[in-house]
Amino acid sequence: MTAALIDIRAVTKSYVSGSVETPVLFGVDLRVERGDFIAVMGQSGSGKSTLMNILGCLDQASGGEYRLDGADTRSLSRPQLAEIRNRTIGFVFQSFNLIKRMSVIENVALPLIYAGVPRARALDKAKQELERVGLGELGKRTPNQLSGGQQQRVAIARALVGDPPLILADEPTGNLDTHTSDDIMRGLQKLNAERGITIVLVTHEPDIAAWSRRLVRLKDGRVLYDGPAAEGLRQLAASHEQLLSGSPA
Amino acid sequence: MKLYQVMVEAFRSMAANRLRTALTMLGIVIGIASVVLMLALGATMQRFIKKEMEMLGTNMVYIMPGGDRIAEQRSRSGAAPSLTVADADALNRLPTLAGAAPALQGSFKLAAGNETSTSIVHGVTPAMFRIRNWKVEQGSMFTDDDVRAASRMVVVGQKVADQFFYRQDPLGRYLRIENVAFQIVGVLQGEGRQLDGGDLSEMVLVPITAARAYMVRGPFPDNVHYIAAQGKSEGVLADAVEDMKETLRDRHRIKLDDPDDFRLQNMATFAATAGKITTGIAALLGVIGGISLVVGGIGIMNIMLVSVTERTREIGIRMAIGAKPRDILLQFLVEAVVICLAGAAVGIAIAAGGAMAISAAADFDVRVGLNAVIVACAFASAVGVFFGFYPARRASRLLPVDCLRHE
Repeated sequence: MTAALIDIRAVTKSYVSGSVETPVLFGVDLRVERGDFIAVMGQSGSGKSTLMNILGCLDQASGGEYRLDGADTRSLSRPQLAEIRNRTIGFVFQSFNLIKRMSVIENVALPLIYAGVPRARALDKAKQELERVGLGELGKRTPNQLSGGQQQRVAIARALVGDPPLILADEPTGNLDTHTSDDIMRGLQKLNAERGITIVLVTHEPDIAAWSRRLVRLKDGRVLYDGPAAEGLRQLAASHEQLLSGSPA
Repeated sequence: MKLYQVMVEAFRSMAANRLRTALTMLGIVIGIASVVLMLALGATMQRFIKKEMEMLGTNMVYIMPGGDRIAEQRSRSGAAPSLTVADADALNRLPTLAGAAPALQGSFKLAAGNETSTSIVHGVTPAMFRIRNWKVEQGSMFTDDDVRAASRMVVVGQKVADQFFYRQDPLGRYLRIENVAFQIVGVLQGEGRQLDGGDLSEMVLVPITAARAYMVRGPFPDNVHYIAAQGKSEGVLADAVEDMKETLRDRHRIKLDDPDDFRLQNMATFAATAGKITTGIAALLGVIGGISLVVGGIGIMNIMLVSVTERTREIGIRMAIGAKPRDILLQFLVEAVVICLAGAAVGIAIAAGGAMAISAAADFDVRVGLNAVIVACAFASAVGVFFGFYPARRASRLLPVDCLRHE
């Protein structure tokens, strides 16, 4: 049996600020198989961002187990975690997070540079990846000279340049209009379908979550629903209707 | 990540904040300029003093007539010529001395053709040439026989030869000194102002006997204006000075408690004093340079800390896409070092300009040497590493999740 790409068991997380301990996750279990396309939904404060940070090895869980691609992340050092992020995960953020001082192509090449790929080869690969997202001509520009949608496509190219098996997208369409959002989501879906890249997407918009196959709903640090996206979204809509009509859930 | 890539990014980051980078570098620029100038001045002084000592002859002591107070006044009035040729002969026999040569000197009118001037003329013996390490470029020196015969011969410096016999062979020609014709037998080698005030190229040297016969006429046929003596070695110089004092006091019959009627001037201590003064100036520059470097380094640390805060989000992005703590550390460290090296480059340029200015103004050959440049670069790098390390390590220890949340 091959291990799941993401295997989280009873993960907890609390933030300590002075003497006050604020728990955010109360034992979350999640298995994500290779090739899956999963949306994580929840209101602000539900813990979805915290879960995302843990999944991305940007933060460490307070308790529980997290195996990413078979490796126990709790036992890894910071340099090792950096290497995992570099090889295994491509990040797509809500605010794009491109480095403004660098040209577009250098932004895309940066993960390869950190992986130790020679500069010329890294730039070559970055150019290819930019062409794939349809921005082959804009490599020399700086991020400020691009529209929001273009910047997000650059960010996707950067996430893909190292051929990671997993893309973590944190509200990738949060700063984009509906039309551009659809473009970005279509692109992600295509990646999932054609290149078999596993996608974990955090969003609070049902329209965006609808692009995924599977839905995980978080509420107050616990998993409320984990199942097919269509069914989950139907339940969500129903609960909203109940809320609007005033009858108890 | 390759060092080259880190350097590229450091330059880009510096270029993004030009004014700030320039202000940050200022302390380093001043510090390095001072240090480089200090090294250049130090090296120049060493060269100068070494050359001086070679020209003066090593271990030279000059003996002048006249003591400190009353005796000096007496001798200045010409009443008491306290040094004689016999004194020089007596000193010449001292075992601690390599030699002692008497000399007369005075300011006299020179003339050849229509050209006239007034110059200091020295009446000397061949022993003086040996002691002072004087060499002739053309012709020859006069000999002991010439001295005995009071021959009207003269050895001149190059400037004098050029002045009176421009583009002509001066050898064999006649130079009139106080209206007496002296034949030029030699032209002295070398030029440049010396510690004792003379310039080799402006020398006019005649046999001491001829000087007495034709220029320095006076009631005391045996007196001399100064005696130049040379110690056998540096080690015995102090002994030699004591021996000379004792011999002269003895010969002059000076009572135990009475003051000397002569003065000794040790040229080695003279040069040492000059050396100490320049060493002092160089040390002062060094201190200024050191303080500037420390202050500049603190400035760099300060700016790097600001830069780390400003770029916290960027650090988060870099960490998210795979930068290891070491990569972040290296990035900020290299940036600090590059700022310092750029400052050093400007500082070296300023020091080179300063050296040229000093050379032009003070007739003094100050050059910025390769070793000064290497030392400056090493210093600058050290300052960059030392003061850049703390901010860089701070950046490398940030947690990616905190950085990404930073606005």
